[in-house]
Amino acid sequence: MTKKTSLHDKHIQLSAKMAPFADYDMPIQYVSVKDEVLAVRNSCGMFDVSHMGEFFVEGKDAIKFVDYLIPNNFESVEDLKAVYSPLCRDNGTMVDDLLAYKVRKDLVLICVNASNMEKDWAWISSKVGKFNCKLTNRSEDYSLIALQGPKAEDHLIDLKIISKNEDIPYYSVREKKFNGAEIIIARTGYTGEDGFEIFCSHKTANTLWDLFLERKVIPCGLASRDVLRLEVCYPLYGHELNDELTPLDSGLQWTVKMNKPDFCGKAALEKYKPKFRLAKLTTEKGIPRAGYDVISDNGKKIGTVVSGTMSVVTGKGIATCLIEKELFPENKKFFIQIRANAVEANYQTQPFIIGGHK
Amino acid sequence: MAHKIPGNLKYTIDHEWALIEGNTVTIGITDFAQSALGDIVFVELPELGRKIDKGDSFGVVESIKSVSDLYSPLSGEIIEVNQNLESSPELCNKDPYGSWMIKIKASNSAEASELLSAQKYETHCSSL
Repeated sequence: MTKKTSLHDKHIQLSAKMAPFADYDMPIQYVSVKDEVLAVRNSCGMFDVSHMGEFFVEGKDAIKFVDYLIPNNFESVEDLKAVYSPLCRDNGTMVDDLLAYKVRKDLVLICVNASNMEKDWAWISSKVGKFNCKLTNRSEDYSLIALQGPKAEDHLIDLKIISKNEDIPYYSVREKKFNGAEIIIARTGYTGEDGFEIFCSHKTANTLWDLFLERKVIPCGLASRDVLRLEVCYPLYGHELNDELTPLDSGLQWTVKMNKPDFCGKAALEKYKPKFRLAKLTTEKGIPRAGYDVISDNGKKIGTVVSGTMSVVTGKGIATCLIEKELFPENKKFFIQIRANAVEANYQTQPFIIGGHK
Repeated sequence: MAHKIPGNLKYTIDHEWALIEGNTVTIGITDFAQSALGDIVFVELPELGRKIDKGDSFGVVESIKSVSDLYSPLSGEIIEVNQNLESSPELCNKDPYGSWMIKIKASNSAEASELLSAQKYETHCSSL
C-alpha cells in the first residue's frame, strides 16, 4: 500500500505529477522542473519531504552514542549544530547517510532516507547496547517541509518563527513555537542554498504550507530536488552511495574522522583500500544519465555514471561517476558513452555550481 | 487538460504527428507529448540520407529527468532535419506543431492509412 504524507491533498490540489518513492506517493514536479530549480536558486521554494525518517535519541548518553554510531565528529562539535555523516557497518560499508542534530544535551534528532528507514532502524537499534539512551522512531509523528532559497529566512522572520536579529548559523538547529505548537527548525537542506528544514506536526505542516503558498513560495518536487543536489554535488543514497561501497569509495573521506577513539566501521576503514574514486564530469553535447559507461581516451571502460542530468543553471550535462580506482586516468581525459557516441567529458574538481548558503 | 490536436495531421499512439504532402512527410511530437515530458532540454536527430522503417527510432528527446525515443510514423529516407532544435530544444514545448523534427521521403504510401486521425488520436489521449 502506497503511503501518503500529511500534505498529499495539497499536492493533488496543485495538480502535481505524482509517483511512488520509498513507499510514498510523492510530488515529482508541479509546473516545471526548470522553474522550480530557479526558484530555489534565486528566491524561495518548498519541498514536502515528510517521507524522510526521524529517529529521536534521548538520554544522558545520546550525544556519546551518536558520536560512536557515525564516522564524522559529533560529540566535539558545538551545541545546537547539525552534522552530515554516512552510517557505516562494522565492515565499513554504508547503511545510509544522515543528518544528526544536537537539539539538546540529552536529545539528538537523526534524519534518515525514507527508503532505508527500516534497515537504519535495525542497525542503529542493534548498536545502542551499553549506552544510556532511548531510541524512538518518530517518523509517523512528524512532517518535514524544506524551505530553501535566499528568501527563506525572510519568510520565517515575517511569520515570526525566528526573529530578525537571531543568529542561526548554517548547519544548526533550534526548538521553536509556532501557533503554540512545538517545532524544530534546522538551517539545513539538500540544495546548496540557504534555507531551513522544519520538523513539525502534520497539522502545523498543513498550516505552514498554505502560509508559504500565500507568500508565493514555489512548491517544488523531487525532480527539481535531484537537480539541485547534483548541481552542488551532494550524494544520494542508491547512486553515489550504496550497501557495497564505503565512504572512502564515494568521495566522503572528509566525513571519516580516524582520530576519533572509536566509531562503527573504524577498524575496517583503517585497513580499507578504496576500489572506486568519484569523478565529477560535465558534457557540452548530450546529457549523461545514471548507468552510462565512462571511458578513457584509449576506449576502455573505466567506470559508470551514478547520477546524471542537465544543470538548469549552467545548461551543461553534469554527472558524478564511480571510476575504478586502478583505472583512473592520470591524464584526466574522460568520455561518456551516450547511445552511439563517446562524448568528451570535462573533469571538474569543484562542484558544478557553488550554492549561496551561508 | 485539453491539448491541441490539429485536424490536418496524422498521429501515432506514441505521440508523433505527421504532415503528409505527396510523398514528403514532416514529423514532430504532439502537444500531449511535450506536456507529458516537461521542459525539453535536448533533441538528438538522425543524419541525412538514413533509411528508416515505420516504427524505427529516429532520435531521442530528453527532458531534465527522462530520455524518450522518437519513432517514425512511416518508412522512408531522411531528407531534412530541423537543426534549430539542437540549439533551441525548448521550441518543442513552445510550439510542438511548428517545431518539426525531420522530413522524410516516404517509401510506402500505403502505410499512411494505418496512422490515427485527429479524432482517433484524441480518443487515444483521453484514454491515458
